[in-house]
Amino acid sequence: MMARLLRRAVVSVIVLAGVLLIGFLMLQVIPADPAVAIAGPQGTDAEIDAIRRHLGLDQPVMLQFVWYIERVLAGDFGRSVINNAPVFGELIRAIGPTIELMFAAMIWAVPAGLGLGIMAALRRGGLIDRAVMAVSVMGVSVPVFWVGLLMIQFAAQTRLFPVQGRGGPLWTLDGLTHIILPATALGLILIGPVARMTRTTLSDSLHADHVRTARAKGASETRVIVHHALRTALLPIITLLGLQIGTLMGGAVVTETIFSWPGVGRLAVGSIISGDYPMAQGAIIFLASAFVLVNIAVDVLNELADPRIGAHP
Amino acid sequence: MIHLTSLSGLASPARLVGLASALAIACATAASAQETGAVTIGRTSDADRYDPHRSTALAAAEVLYMVGDTLVTLSHDLKTVEPALAESWEVSEDGLTYTFKLKEGVTYCDGKPFTANDVVGNMNRWLTPDGPYVSAWKAGEVDSVTAPDDLTVVYKLKSPSSGLLFQMAQFNFVMIDPGQAEALGEDFGVTAFNGTGPFCFESWTPNDSVVLTRHDGYDWGTEALGSTGPAAVEQVVWKIIPEEATLVASLQAGEIDGTYSLPSWAFAQFEADPSIELLQPEASFRTHYVGMKVTRPFMQDIKVREAVSHAIDQAAIAEAIFFGTVEPAESYYAADALDYDPSTDTSPFGYDPDATSALLEEAGFTKGDDGFWQKDGEKLALTYYGFNTSREQAEAIQGDLRKAGIDLTVELYDSTAIWAKLREQTYDLYQMDYPYLNAGDALNLYFSSASVPSPNRMMWEDAKTDELLAAGNSAVNEDARAEAFMALGKHLHEAILWKPLLLEKPTVAIGPRLAPFQPAGISGAAFGTGLGLALK
Repeated sequence: MMARLLRRAVVSVIVLAGVLLIGFLMLQVIPADPAVAIAGPQGTDAEIDAIRRHLGLDQPVMLQFVWYIERVLAGDFGRSVINNAPVFGELIRAIGPTIELMFAAMIWAVPAGLGLGIMAALRRGGLIDRAVMAVSVMGVSVPVFWVGLLMIQFAAQTRLFPVQGRGGPLWTLDGLTHIILPATALGLILIGPVARMTRTTLSDSLHADHVRTARAKGASETRVIVHHALRTALLPIITLLGLQIGTLMGGAVVTETIFSWPGVGRLAVGSIISGDYPMAQGAIIFLASAFVLVNIAVDVLNELADPRIGAHP
Repeated sequence: MIHLTSLSGLASPARLVGLASALAIACATAASAQETGAVTIGRTSDADRYDPHRSTALAAAEVLYMVGDTLVTLSHDLKTVEPALAESWEVSEDGLTYTFKLKEGVTYCDGKPFTANDVVGNMNRWLTPDGPYVSAWKAGEVDSVTAPDDLTVVYKLKSPSSGLLFQMAQFNFVMIDPGQAEALGEDFGVTAFNGTGPFCFESWTPNDSVVLTRHDGYDWGTEALGSTGPAAVEQVVWKIIPEEATLVASLQAGEIDGTYSLPSWAFAQFEADPSIELLQPEASFRTHYVGMKVTRPFMQDIKVREAVSHAIDQAAIAEAIFFGTVEPAESYYAADALDYDPSTDTSPFGYDPDATSALLEEAGFTKGDDGFWQKDGEKLALTYYGFNTSREQAEAIQGDLRKAGIDLTVELYDSTAIWAKLREQTYDLYQMDYPYLNAGDALNLYFSSASVPSPNRMMWEDAKTDELLAAGNSAVNEDARAEAFMALGKHLHEAILWKPLLLEKPTVAIGPRLAPFQPAGISGAAFGTGLGLALK
């Protein structure tokens, strides 16, 4: 198991190095020039040159890249070219709200997806099954920004919930009311995949030998489903959830922008729009690293839950 | 609203608990919006920093006018210079020396007195050669700025600048604390800003909010600034809401008290909502235009430029895309701007597709089998650069031109990318909008040969333009200035360098908590100093 994890870690480091390189080059290739953006529409050549020198942008790209790698390896993501704020500090400040939002989305969407999946599996082929599958297809296909905007319109008319911003920590009333809409919108991304996976795996395990044996031994139907069928069906669902974290992070970028949620996603979008490339690079690397780490964690959890995964590479 | 009859279907305990929670949440939401003394203004984007010498962003102007003062300001019609930090001023006969008398008793937010030496410090910083500072041209060709005593500033120029006092009302002239700027370095205008304005800079969370608190000792305002002060509200929060639909909903839901980052589609909604009022400044100028690069093969010919101009229907764009919230423009700057000559011939800028055909025929073009005009076997095909936020405008222009037999390739760019893209010089037409105070302000920046290639993106290099600009700038009385700028305006309109599209005034939308006020027109920052803001 250790050897497998080590292999996985080495691959992850290579992936992250690639992200670092692509993140840097991507922002060099796009025709956005922070000096020109700062000087604005009325900027003269002399002003733009002076700003470029001040930011170190007049140096060769390779040299800038070497400096960048050196800094990142030393744990320094640099400073924003726009407001001079340390990138790392800004990312740390923004990660809390992003985790909070993802957590709030999962806390309602996972049980909801499980419930729908169980209902569909138990009534396979019936009306409920078809309805659940239709809902899950909608959850996957309807864009989160569209759902978000509908919710905002609804909330603005009814004034039931705040439509934007973060009201504070989750355990305060203000914090709770502010997170309801973005967490609902983001959670919809998860419902479909979880419901479908639950339906498929539970349907299979309901016909497995050990479930038949449990029924033959006279266990109640609830006990058969929860203790015998669902338990074996859970492993692929956990794996799926791990993989969905990436989708959820992507969804968080959009959700945070629509609902003005002060997380990493909004920071990334804002810094790309304002041409703040150290901040954009930092946010991209941060999100990519989180994705890689989550995948490693899912692997470890899978192996702990089912040692057969590691035994047969 | 929940009707009583519908409650019968909600009888289960779980549902009742849910309903009670929803009501509690609704009450809490409503209560938080009713906090007294604080006004929340929504906007879609943040500034790069709050430093008047380093930012060109409107978002910076919005906050800087509240936390700092300029030496002078302008009347609501933008035609008269009015006192602000300077209670009076004199201009020497040769137009080279301006002597300002400052008001007594002005202090920064930290309690330090504001003196003439601070004005000197401001100008020295801004005009540092090779410094990372912007828009220094607004200060004129400065010879020296000195402080003979604490309340007198002598501002000497190398050559006269007839528009200087008007420029001094712009946000780049907001007085900072030079000592603080030096001490904070790169963090100035980011972590702190010590100003003399009606509000003090409390905190900034980039891309989220700026919090300003009332400057209690402020009593040096004027009617032109909104009031004598201090401000009527205790706190102003500038809140960033990047998504326009969310911003609109936030105003409707009472989460913000006002905004003027309004998408056109929201106007009809707001007009139908009695809880929202729409306000406009008496004067504020922003013109949208299509610039024509005169060094490109087809665009060198003035007949082609006029043909392009006649092919674009700006009135239809104003109506269809902006729902009539802007006016179609027929001149490079507004007819009610100072020094606009009413006798300027604007006939080349009207929509007239028949004139397009006639002009192109005169220019030697013939209609090809594909329906496009061509000359010497080459199709009249042009390239257009615009902002990706103006897609509908670009598409309308493309449609108009193609209808008239002129092919147009549209390339749209993000606001961070377009400036660099324009510098590659591969466009025939480009679309842009710009704010200005008067004709001189508009003409100086965009048309002088010295501004080639940026911001004179038409590449218009013309001796007569430079001569008249110099005459207007060096005029030492209003008549001479007006005469030169009016003559220049006519000359440039005759040259057909732009196709004027739209004339836009900022519209402020306020919610039920905020009392109506007179929006400001300078630099397009409609909430002005914030002295006019008051809760009902």
